[in-house]
Amino acid sequence: MECRVLSIQSHVVRGYVGNKSATFPLQVLGFEVDSINSVQFSNHTGYAHWKGQVLTAEELNVLYEGIKLNNVNHYDYILTGYSRDISFLETVVDIIKELKKANPSLVYVCDPVMGDQGAMYVPENLLPVYKNKVVPLADILTPNQFEAELLTGRKINTEEDAIEVMDLLHKMGPETVVLTSTDLPSKQGDQFLVALGSQKISKVSDGTNTDQKICMDIPKVDAVFVGTGDLFAAMMLAWTHHHPKDLKTACEKTVSVMHHVIKRTITYANEMAGPGKRPTPAQLELRMVQSKADIENPAIVVEAKVLQKSSQ
Amino acid sequence: MECRVLSIQSHVVRGYVGNKSASFPLQLLGFEVDSINSVQFSNHTGYSHWKGQVLTADELHVLYEGIKLNNVHHYDYVLTGYTRDTSFLEMVVDIVQELKRANPNLVYVCDPVLGDHGSMYVPQNLYPVYKNKVVPVADIITPNQFEAELLTGKNISTEKDAVEVMDLLHAMGPDTVVITSSDLPSRLGDRFLVSLGSQRHVRPDGSRTTQRVRLEVPKVDAVFVGTGDLFAAMLLAWTHHYPTDLKVHTHKQTQKKLFGAQSKVPESLRNRSRLFKDLQRFDELVL
Repeated sequence: MECRVLSIQSHVVRGYVGNKSATFPLQVLGFEVDSINSVQFSNHTGYAHWKGQVLTAEELNVLYEGIKLNNVNHYDYILTGYSRDISFLETVVDIIKELKKANPSLVYVCDPVMGDQGAMYVPENLLPVYKNKVVPLADILTPNQFEAELLTGRKINTEEDAIEVMDLLHKMGPETVVLTSTDLPSKQGDQFLVALGSQKISKVSDGTNTDQKICMDIPKVDAVFVGTGDLFAAMMLAWTHHHPKDLKTACEKTVSVMHHVIKRTITYANEMAGPGKRPTPAQLELRMVQSKADIENPAIVVEAKVLQKSSQ
Repeated sequence: MECRVLSIQSHVVRGYVGNKSASFPLQLLGFEVDSINSVQFSNHTGYSHWKGQVLTADELHVLYEGIKLNNVHHYDYVLTGYTRDTSFLEMVVDIVQELKRANPNLVYVCDPVLGDHGSMYVPQNLYPVYKNKVVPVADIITPNQFEAELLTGKNISTEKDAVEVMDLLHAMGPDTVVITSSDLPSRLGDRFLVSLGSQRHVRPDGSRTTQRVRLEVPKVDAVFVGTGDLFAAMLLAWTHHYPTDLKVHTHKQTQKKLFGAQSKVPESLRNRSRLFKDLQRFDELVL
């Protein structure tokens, strides 16, 4: 497999977020990963302390220029995640446009990181950039419920709402949308969260469009993990690559990898913390390296339900 | 296996040198790799063009401070390679010394990148820093012949010279020395290059012993970049698994990798030709 990904995300010296979270799993799965580090921090910002440096939009452009001058600006995928700076994000958009001109088949996997549980944790002025410039270029989008609501201006209270919101997101650009987590009640009880996905597939033979819409009930884990969204987007890239017209399988594999990594992580973290103690952010770092086998060949632990297939 | 490595090397967006060359293989082998990127370049400097930014000694210090403030500055290994800046290298030495105080068992694997084929390709003022400050705190070093000669002030014309040079290097600090490539004639002919290693141990009864090995490594007819970084990373990995068996771990690593010249040398010197075949034999020197 000769598949090259350009990933523009954070780098942390210690731990697994951003490029640290995405790169190793993708490399394990045989992808060539070129990575532009948007920041270099000692560790993620959930620790008591963090220190480091950020890349400016200008510096990002300089790095891209280097790649272009050598005529190696040819990618099959681009992957982006957490960003805090408008001009940086706008430079990313310019780069993607140029890379799509160089390779019209390029797939842009975008995690539109803006916030969660009803609150934004990036500057508010990023929303219009995501809405008007980034999402229209994306091919695969992995918002959580809050981000999906922000982007579409519509609230999600029921499964029908979720389906309508995913359709609105399709209209904005991406053919594949995954609502990575929602507050919708799970039929399996309150130890589960509901995730949904939607993919538009065009049949070349007769020009008709089919939607595949799926729903998953995912076991909750009682802890706060960092970097899981970045791992999710990276795995969506990998598994949709292997299953381009089968969102159900791609999501089952992605969510299963997440499950194995998270379970290994929480077991280790609790062991390190000791009985009755809550683990620290350092102890809760994803057990990525230890999960190599699960990344390569995930045992499927969650089944996605196909909601509806509609044709137009 | 719970083993944490701090690797302070370059990052390239595209390709495999520095941290890009070292991290993935170590992670595959189950090591936790914390990486400080000393530079971020588009690609290595052997391409027609390269662009990017460098980390200053101050910025390196800031990153280390973050790790220290969170009380997670506990490492089993430190790994360093190509550096161009004296103050950066001196900051690395300070960090290694502090990390060794935090963990006296820490092993510092150092590739003393200075040059090759008779000429330096880093600023000359790095040489005294390596000689006087870096090598004394190293536990494992991977110089090529030129770097070994530079550090000891002794030329290598015979295998006996090489053994003396490795002993001089041991006396400077590291218990494990691998001369990654040399111009010594191979017993298998001119399609092979000679690599040598030396490891000092203390026996249970307190006496000292030195294991020396010689490898005949198939040459490959091309210039590779990042191979030295891979070599040092793999030596870290395999000495971890075989701490007192230099023979096995150097054998494993030369079997697993293509071996070639670093392309930091200018075009005029890129006339080394190396041919690759399966590794055929290596000897353990009995002395």
